[in-house]
Amino acid sequence: MKNGLMLFLGLLAAMLIPWSAIVLGANHELGRQPAYYDDNDSQAYPLRPSGIAAEGEQVYRGLNCAACHTQQVRRDGYGSDVARGWGDRQSVARDYIFRANPELGALRIGPDLANLAGRKPTAPDIDDLYTLLYEGQGAMPPYRFLFQYRKIIGQRSDDALQLVGRYEPRPGYEVVPTRAAQRLAGYLLSLNSTYTYPEARAAAPAAGEGRK
Amino acid sequence: MSVSPSDPRYDRAAASDDALLNAHEAALAPQGDDHAHYPLRPLVLLFVTSGFILFAATYLNRYAGQYDPTVFNEDTLPNHAAVSAPAADPVTLGKRLFNSSGACFTCHQPTGQGIPGVYPPLAGSEWAQGSPDRVIRILLAGLTGPVTVEGKTFNAAQMPSFGPSGFNWSDEKISQVLTYVRQEWGNKAPPITPAQVAAIRATIGDHPAWTSAELLQIK
Amino acid sequence: MTLASTPTAETPAAPAEVTVVETAGRVPLLLLAGSAIAWLLVSGILALASSIQLVHPDFLSGWSFLSYGRLTALAETAFIYGWVGNAGLTVALWMLGRLSGEPLRAPNWLLAGASFWNFSLLLALIGIAIGYGTAVPFFELPTVTIPILFLSYAAMAIPGVLAWVGRRRDLMFASQWYAVAALFLFPWILAVGYFMLDKIPVQGAVQAVVGGWYAQALWTVWMAPLALAGAYYVVPRVTGKLLPAYDSAVLGFWVLVVVGGFTGGRHLIGGPLPAWVASVAIVTTFLLLVHYVVVLLNLRVAWGGGGTALKFIGLGLFCYVLGGFADAVTSVRGVAVSTQFTFFDVAQTQLALYGGVTLMLLGALYFALARILGRPWCSAGLIRAHWALTVLGLAAVVICLAVAGLRQGADLNNAQVSFAAIADDTRPWLVGAVAGAAALLLGNILWALNLAGTAAAMVREELFAS
Repeated sequence: MKNGLMLFLGLLAAMLIPWSAIVLGANHELGRQPAYYDDNDSQAYPLRPSGIAAEGEQVYRGLNCAACHTQQVRRDGYGSDVARGWGDRQSVARDYIFRANPELGALRIGPDLANLAGRKPTAPDIDDLYTLLYEGQGAMPPYRFLFQYRKIIGQRSDDALQLVGRYEPRPGYEVVPTRAAQRLAGYLLSLNSTYTYPEARAAAPAAGEGRK
Repeated sequence: MSVSPSDPRYDRAAASDDALLNAHEAALAPQGDDHAHYPLRPLVLLFVTSGFILFAATYLNRYAGQYDPTVFNEDTLPNHAAVSAPAADPVTLGKRLFNSSGACFTCHQPTGQGIPGVYPPLAGSEWAQGSPDRVIRILLAGLTGPVTVEGKTFNAAQMPSFGPSGFNWSDEKISQVLTYVRQEWGNKAPPITPAQVAAIRATIGDHPAWTSAELLQIK
Repeated sequence: MTLASTPTAETPAAPAEVTVVETAGRVPLLLLAGSAIAWLLVSGILALASSIQLVHPDFLSGWSFLSYGRLTALAETAFIYGWVGNAGLTVALWMLGRLSGEPLRAPNWLLAGASFWNFSLLLALIGIAIGYGTAVPFFELPTVTIPILFLSYAAMAIPGVLAWVGRRRDLMFASQWYAVAALFLFPWILAVGYFMLDKIPVQGAVQAVVGGWYAQALWTVWMAPLALAGAYYVVPRVTGKLLPAYDSAVLGFWVLVVVGGFTGGRHLIGGPLPAWVASVAIVTTFLLLVHYVVVLLNLRVAWGGGGTALKFIGLGLFCYVLGGFADAVTSVRGVAVSTQFTFFDVAQTQLALYGGVTLMLLGALYFALARILGRPWCSAGLIRAHWALTVLGLAAVVICLAVAGLRQGADLNNAQVSFAAIADDTRPWLVGAVAGAAALLLGNILWALNLAGTAAAMVREELFAS
C-alpha cells in the first residue's frame, strides 16, 4: 500500500461498516423497544424498578457481581438454564429495557440471577439474601463489609440479621445491613422476569430441528 | 563489549531497516516475465476466503431469522402472527367497563341485582339475556318509561344513553360490557361483537330513548 | 530467500544499530517501556490474588476494594490499558520511527501523553477499587477517566503519525499498516464506547451489543495490530529472511480490520438478543481464520530462528493462531453451549492476550530495548529464567483453566449438579492456574530486574563516559 490517505479512509470504512451493521442495526431494532402493555392485567411489563432497586443496581455494578453471575437465561434445550429453575423461558431484550446498565455477565461461577425473585417454588427472601451475603457459601465469598457489626444500644435493631452457629454475633452485639446492602437486596428482589412476552413465547425450539 | 551470536542477551539483526524495506518492496513488485511460475498460494487464499464468505451467506440465510428482532431462536423463522399481541379478553374488559366510575354498577349494582323498585336487575334478566338487537338499542339510545323485568315493573329512573347522544362509547366498549353482563351472575347468553353494535348503530341513527313497547316490537 | 544486504560490523553497541531514533527518543520510549513493565507486574499481582480467591473465597474478602469482582476488573484493566497499551505503543512508535528513517518528532507530546495516560489509569484503578467500575468486560474504566485517556492517547500517537506521514518511502511495510491502524482506530472505539454506554446510553440489552463490539474491536484493531506490528518488524530483521507469504499480507491485514468488528456478538450466543447478532458473529469468526492463516504463513520463519526475540515471538505466533482457531471452534453453537460462561472462555482470553499478544510484545521489546538502551541485556540467566517461567506459567494457566472450564461446562449443563459440586470439581485445576499465575509473575519480576540492571549499567556507563 502506498497511499497514506487511502489507508486512513480504508481504516475508517473498516471501522464504520461493521459498527453500523451490528451496533446501529441492533440499536435500530431494539433501541426504542417499549414496555408491553397487557390488557388483561392493565399492567405494562417489565415493571419499572423502584428507586432502591435502581440504586442497588449501581451497587451490583460497583462490586462487579457480573464477574461470577450471569443474568441471561438461555432457552429450554440449549443448556440447563430452564431445567435448573432459573427461568421459565429465554431472556429477551425487553426484559432489560428499564435497567440502566444490564448486567448480562460472562461467567457462571455462581448461578444465574435473571429471575431470582421469580424462582419457583420459592424465591429467596430478604433474610436469605442478607445471610448469604454475610456468610458466603461455597465459591461465593462473604461480603462482610456490607454489614455493620455493632453493639446493641438499647433495643436490638429490627434490621438485625438472625445468624446462627459460628456467625452468631457475641452477646450484646448485632449485625445490621448497611445502606449498600439494603440497596443491593432491593435490587436482587426486583429481578423478576416471569412475564412471558409474545416474542418470548415463540422462542421455544421447533421439534426435531438441527442446531449448528 | 561484544556478544557471541548465540548469546541470548542480544538479538543480532541479520538485516538493516533499508534491506527490510527494499526486499519487501521488491516482493510486491511484478515478478518479471515468468510464465511458467504461477504462485498458487494467493489463489488458494482467494478461494478459501470466498469459501468462507459462501459459508457465511448460507449459514446466515438459514440461521439469522431473517434479521428479525423477534427471532431469538436461530432455528426458527419470524412468525408475526405468533408474536403479535393476543386479543384482550372481552369479558375482562367488559367487567372493567361495568365497574368504571359513573357507569353501570352505580345503578345496577356490582352484583347485578339492581335496587328493588328503582333499578332493574341484570342477573337473570330476560332482557339482558334476550335478543341482542334489543339490548344494543338500549345502550345506544337509552330506555325511558316503564319496563317489566322478571315480573316486576320499574319506572323510577331513565336508563341513560351510551351512544352518540350520551356517554358516546365505542362499538368495542358496548360489545364488551354487554358480553360481560350476558355471562355474569348466572346469565348464559351468547357474546356480542362490535360488528353487531356497528350494524345497529347505523340503522337507528339518532333515535331518542327507546320505550319498552317499541323494543318489544323488535325481535 | 534472504534479504539483500546485512549490516557490517554487527556488534551490539555499533552505531549501525543504534540510530538517531533511539538517541532522540530514548527518554519517552523508556518511560513508556518502564510503565509497561510496572503495569505488567501490578496486573500480575492483582491477577494472582484474584486467582487465589477462586480457590479460597475468604482470601482478602474483608476489604471492599479487594473483593473478587473488583480485583478481576482491576487486573484486567491494568493488563490491557497499562501493559498492552504502553508496551504496544513503545514497540509501534519505535518501529515507525526506525522505518521512517527520521528521529522521533514531537517527543515532548509523547512524554506528556505517556505521563497523563499512566496517571489517569492509576486514577481509573482507584475508581474501580472504590466501586465506580462499569462492569463491562474490557471496559471497566470509570467514565470520568475516559476523556483524559482519549486525549493522552492522541498526544502519544502524534509522534507515530508524524513519523508515518514523514516517511522517506511511499510504500508501507506491513508493520506500518498495523501500527497506523492501532494509532488511528483506538480513539474511535474508545469514543464510541464512551458515548454509547455512558454519555448517551443505548437502551437495555443493546448495551450488551455495544460492549461485545467494543471488546472484540479492542482485540482486533488495537491489541492484535500492536503485537503484529512488532512481530512483522522483528522477525525479518533478525532472521534476515523475506517473509514467505508477504504478497498475501495485505489480505491478512484487511480481513482482520474489516471482519474483526463483526465478531462482537461471539459472547452473546443464546443471549437475550435476536439470533442474527450471534449468527453474524459466528460466521465472521470463521472468516477471520483467513487472517490467522496469513499471519502463520508469514511469521512461521520465526520458528526456525534462534535468539530471545524469535523464541518469544515464535511461541506467541503459535498461541495467537491457536487462539484464533479456538475462537472459531467455540463459536459453533453446539460447542458454545458447553464452553460459554465457563473458565474455558477465560482460558481462551488468556491464550490470546497473554500467549498471543504479550509474548509477541515481549519478543519485540527484547529486541527494541537493547537498541534503545544501546547495550545488550545484562543477564543471560535472567532471560532464560524469564523464558522458562513464562512457558511453564502460560501452559499451566491455559491448560488448567481450559480443563476446569470443560468440567464446569459439563457440570453446568447437568441440572442435577449443584454449584458446590462444581466448585469442588474445578478447584484442583484452579490451584494449577494459581501456580501458573505465580510463575508468570515471577518471570516478569525477573525481566523487570534485568531491565533495571541494564538501564543502571547504561546510566553508569554514560556517567563515567562524560
